Formats: sequence, C-alpha cells, structure tokens
Amino acid sequence: MKDKLIWLNKHFRREWQIYVMLLPVIIWFIVFLYKPMYGLQIAFKDYSIFRGIAGSPWAGFEHFYTLLDSDQFLRAVKNTFVISGLSLIFGFPVPIILALMFNEILHQGFKKTAQTIVYLPHFISTVIIAGIVITAFSPSSGVVNLLLSKLGIEPIYFLTKPEWFRPIFIGSGIWQEAGFSSIVFLAAIAGVSPTLYESAVVDGASRWQMIWKITLPAIMPTIIIMLIIRIGNLLEVGFELVILLYQPATYETSDIINTFIYRQGLQGGQYDLAAAAGLFNAVVAFVLVITANMIAKRYSKTSLW
Amino acid sequence: MSNVLLQGISKSFGELEVVHSIDLEIASQEFIVLVGPSGCGKSTTLRMVAGLEEISDGMLQIGDRVVNDIAPKDRDVAMVFQNYALYPHLSVADNIAFGLNIRRVKKPEIKRQVADVAQTLELTDLLNRKPSELSGGQRQRVAMGRAIVRHPKVFLFDEPLSNLDAKLRIQMRAEIKLLHKRLGVTSVYVTHDQVEAMTLADRIVVMHDGRIEQIGTPMELFRNPANLFVASFIGSPPMNKLSGSVTVKNAVPSLDIGHGASIKLRSDSVSSDDHGRSIVVGIRPEHMNIEPGNGPGWSEIPFDLTLVEPLGSEALIHAMVGDTPIIMKVETRNEVSHLNDATRFYVQAEDVRAFDAETGKALDFTVAG
Repeated sequence: MKDKLIWLNKHFRREWQIYVMLLPVIIWFIVFLYKPMYGLQIAFKDYSIFRGIAGSPWAGFEHFYTLLDSDQFLRAVKNTFVISGLSLIFGFPVPIILALMFNEILHQGFKKTAQTIVYLPHFISTVIIAGIVITAFSPSSGVVNLLLSKLGIEPIYFLTKPEWFRPIFIGSGIWQEAGFSSIVFLAAIAGVSPTLYESAVVDGASRWQMIWKITLPAIMPTIIIMLIIRIGNLLEVGFELVILLYQPATYETSDIINTFIYRQGLQGGQYDLAAAAGLFNAVVAFVLVITANMIAKRYSKTSLW
Repeated sequence: MSNVLLQGISKSFGELEVVHSIDLEIASQEFIVLVGPSGCGKSTTLRMVAGLEEISDGMLQIGDRVVNDIAPKDRDVAMVFQNYALYPHLSVADNIAFGLNIRRVKKPEIKRQVADVAQTLELTDLLNRKPSELSGGQRQRVAMGRAIVRHPKVFLFDEPLSNLDAKLRIQMRAEIKLLHKRLGVTSVYVTHDQVEAMTLADRIVVMHDGRIEQIGTPMELFRNPANLFVASFIGSPPMNKLSGSVTVKNAVPSLDIGHGASIKLRSDSVSSDDHGRSIVVGIRPEHMNIEPGNGPGWSEIPFDLTLVEPLGSEALIHAMVGDTPIIMKVETRNEVSHLNDATRFYVQAEDVRAFDAETGKALDFTVAG
C-alpha cells in the first residue's frame, strides 16, 4: 500500500503535464454532462421553479404515464422513428456511394472541384439551409414550383402539406451532410493497399468488380462503425431544421420528440414533463446503441467497444 | 508456356526516363531473374510486362503477340506481389479462386482447380482460413496459388520473398524453384537479393540505373562479370578490388598492384600501348588462399591482417593490402587459430579479373598460366 502511494506520488510528479492536458476534457464532461444529470430528477418530481429542484415534491412515474397517454407525445415518438428510419435508409448509403464515385474520378482538378461543391452545404448554418429550402419550395417564386409550372403542373404548397414534409426534410439533410460524411469513407478507401487493385487488374477484374469485391469489403468495418453511431443517434433528428421548417399544419408528420420537448418544456413551462420526455429519449437511444453494437459484434467482428 | 521479348523498352515518368531502352529475350520455360539495387528499374520493367505500367517506348511481345496495348488481363500473365496482395476479407480458397471467379469459370471447375493447387502447395488444411490467420510463408504460398490456378503463360514475381524472415526465405526459395521445375512456366522474377538471383535463375539480368549491365547464367556472372558493378553486386562477400596499373617490363606484361605485388600477364593479350594504363584488379574472396597451391600460375600478395571471423566451416579474413580493405573467404577445417598468423594470400592466374579503372569495363587481359 505504502509502496503504491510512493509510486503514485513519483508518477504524478513525473507525468503531471499529461494530467493537466487531460483536465479540460474532464471539466467539460463534469460541467456539461454530469452536473446537468442532477436535474434529471425533475422528471420524477412535481417541479416548481419557485421551490427549486430539491424542494419540489416527488411524483414518481406520473409524468411518464402522462406522456404515454398523450397522443401528441406518441405521435412525436412515431415521427421521430419514421423520420430517422427513412433518413437512415435513404441517407446512409449516399455518402458511401459518393465516396466510391469520387474514388473513380481520375482527373484531379475535376475531383477536387466536385468534392468542394458537395462539401460546401455542410458549412452553411442550418438557419440559412432552412431559408434556402423555404425559398426553393415557395409556391409563388420557388425554383421547384417554377419548374413544375413549366411542365404544366399547378403550384404545390410543399411546406404546408404533411405528406411533403418528410421527403423535403430528409432530402435537404442528405444535400447538406452527404458530401461531408463521405470524407470518412474516402479516408477508409485511401487505406486500401493499391496492390490489391493491381493484383485484381492482372487477374482481369473490371472497375465495377473491383468496387464490389475489393473496395466495399475493405471499407465494411468503417461502414459498420458509422452505422452503429448513426443508429445510436437515431433519435437525434436534426431538431433545429425541424423547428425552422415545420408549422402546425404539418405537425402530423413533422413533430418529433425534441420539438415536443421544446414546445412543452420551454414554451409551455412544463419542465417536469419535458424532462421525462427527454429521459425517455435518452434511455431509448442508449438501448439502441447497445443493441446495434451487440449485433455488429456478433455478425461482423467490428464494434465500438 | 511462352517466350517473352523486350525490344528497346523504355519508361519515362514525365521528363524523367527511368528505364532506358532495354533489350531482353526470354526463352519459353526459362526462369529469368532481374536483379539490381533499389531504383534500378527492375520492378518498373516487370510492371511493364504485367501491363501495370504503360510502356513509353519499344515493343513487348509475349508468345507471338505484341502486347504493348493489350490490357493486363488479356496478356495471360499472373503476378505474385511482395506484400502478397491477398484479399483480407476472403478465405484462402476464395483468394485462390478470385481470378477464376472474375473469369466466370463454372463453380465445380473452380472447386476442383482450387483443390488441385491447394494440394500442390500444401494448403489444403488452410482453405477456410482468412489471410490474417496465416503465417508469412503460408500467405506467400496462397499468393502463388492464386497465380498458379490461372495457368498463365508467364509468371511474374515482384520481390516475393522480401517480407519473410531469413530462414523462411531459404525454404520458400527452394519451393519456388521446385515449382518452376514441375510446372515449367516461363518466369520473370525481380529481387534485390543476389543470393536469390544466383540460386533461382536460369539466367540473371543485372540492372543498374535503368540499364542492363549484364545478362548471363549465374556462373557466367560470377566467373566473368562484364564490369565492376556486376563484379561487386554478384557474390557475397563482394569481389575485392585492388587498384593498379599495367606495366610492360622487358616485354613481359604484368598487373602491378603496388606494395611489391604483381600478377603476370600473357604477353599476347597485352599490347605495348597498355603500359601505364590504370586498372582495377578483381579477385573473389573465395579465390584467395592463405597457402600456396601446387603447380604454376600462382601469385603471392602480402597483406596486414585486421580481423578473423569464423563462420564454422569457413572463415572471413579482413585485411588491408596497402590502403585497400579486402575480405577473404577460406575453409577452416575446424581450426581457425592459425589464420591469425597469415601475412599473404595466393591467387591462381585464372581467378584474377582486370577492369578498366575509368569505365569499369572488364578487360580481356589473360593472366599468364
């Protein structure tokens, strides 16, 4: 025991710089993730801002029962899963396809220009993206409706129609992030040994066969890791963009858990109910990550932990 | 089985020419080794034969076909790479079958051929493993299996043994030689290791700075190197080089290497113009004896001994002749202590080579017998 203490003392004296460098991360975790957890108990309390967190009386699972009885909340849960499920199905393969396509471009100048063009939307603020989307789909002056009218189709009020919200939301999400997300896959492709391709060329493989039989299997571990992360974030639908694009007319398809929390909690002042919804969200997300990781481990030997 | 013909083959990357007009005729079933230091253009030449590099100039013929503009897959060659180039996600069987799958050979046929090759290379028990579960030597065998299974006209090897440890390299070297004996497929083999070249090749092509220095059987290169580069590249330890000059005294020509040592030449091989010409005398470590031999034609050269390195059945003697360090390789017959007293070595006339000091080219001086 004493030896250990002496060793620790020596160790800290010698390596203290490393611990100092570690400090900001630890502080960040404590301040922004662990300290707020104290507030989670609001979900189980009849919270009043005047009495404070400690002073409010316990309410057990009452808020959760209220939520599960609320059509609005259940609708938000359903919408969250549908929107993220659809964007997973349609959005997840796009960066992979983009990366494969970039990899096939031989002309360096063309490749760089194309990459810059698809990376660009990532750097635009969500507010601007929403502005662009709203302008583009405007019934009177939007470019989409202008094109439709040229084809003889009546203008459509896209952003007020519930059936159009999901395609527009998912589409603009892909447009904004697909290019930037492709960087991870491009990096993975860059790590594939060139002799694998040379060997395949001598064996007579076409470029298409090389993509299917070499590149894709080689970047599969990266794809799986990205998929696990993506599934873990399944409930984290880009909530700013929803707030900016949705309106009461489209709540039916557009209201998600996070916008529900925002409206109930911050706008409606029901902090306890919102906290319960948030906790529900977190627990489901937690279960999703663990399940995805377990499945990945079992079937592909690749996993986050 | 095909012959391969390289005629004036050159390769440039932009302005920089790295292979300068190479001519090489490879006979059917021959095992040719391209050897040289790194950057000499040997791999580039091989890759041009494979079709992985475009040929900048010249003509390449495999069989009776000019293949300059023919895609690698249609050249009917198979290549074994230095890092094996195995597909990490495929089993050994699928790796071997890869080329056949690509060519849409029927499944039962693929299975039969893979089993055949696996048996030849003793891979049958490993067919279901992934490359990551194999040792270096086994991976190398799989890489060869992938080449063999296609029954190509020409095998191309790009430093296939470089990633193996010394022991395994010797074993795989023998396996490659046996395999060539059995299959009889024309093979072009690139290495920087002269021992590999000597042991494997029917003929060796020594390359340097994008040019061919000499083509010949291993023994030809060892006995009669065309220039100083080949002389010092082939053989281990390399040939000893002693500077000297030609002297003609009383119509008797000799190679004078200073320190009172000289080697007599036959008078008909030297003209009187050669008097005073600077030369380099080359003597292989194996041809230096510390005891005089019987019969005529022995020259005696004194040295200062620096170090004796016993290797078991033989020993290396490091010594100085004047300012020039030399290495001798002598048989020890279980005893090395007497080597420390050596003060001179003896060399037979036929084992001495002379090179022009300026051009490095071998001179056809004949040493007097």
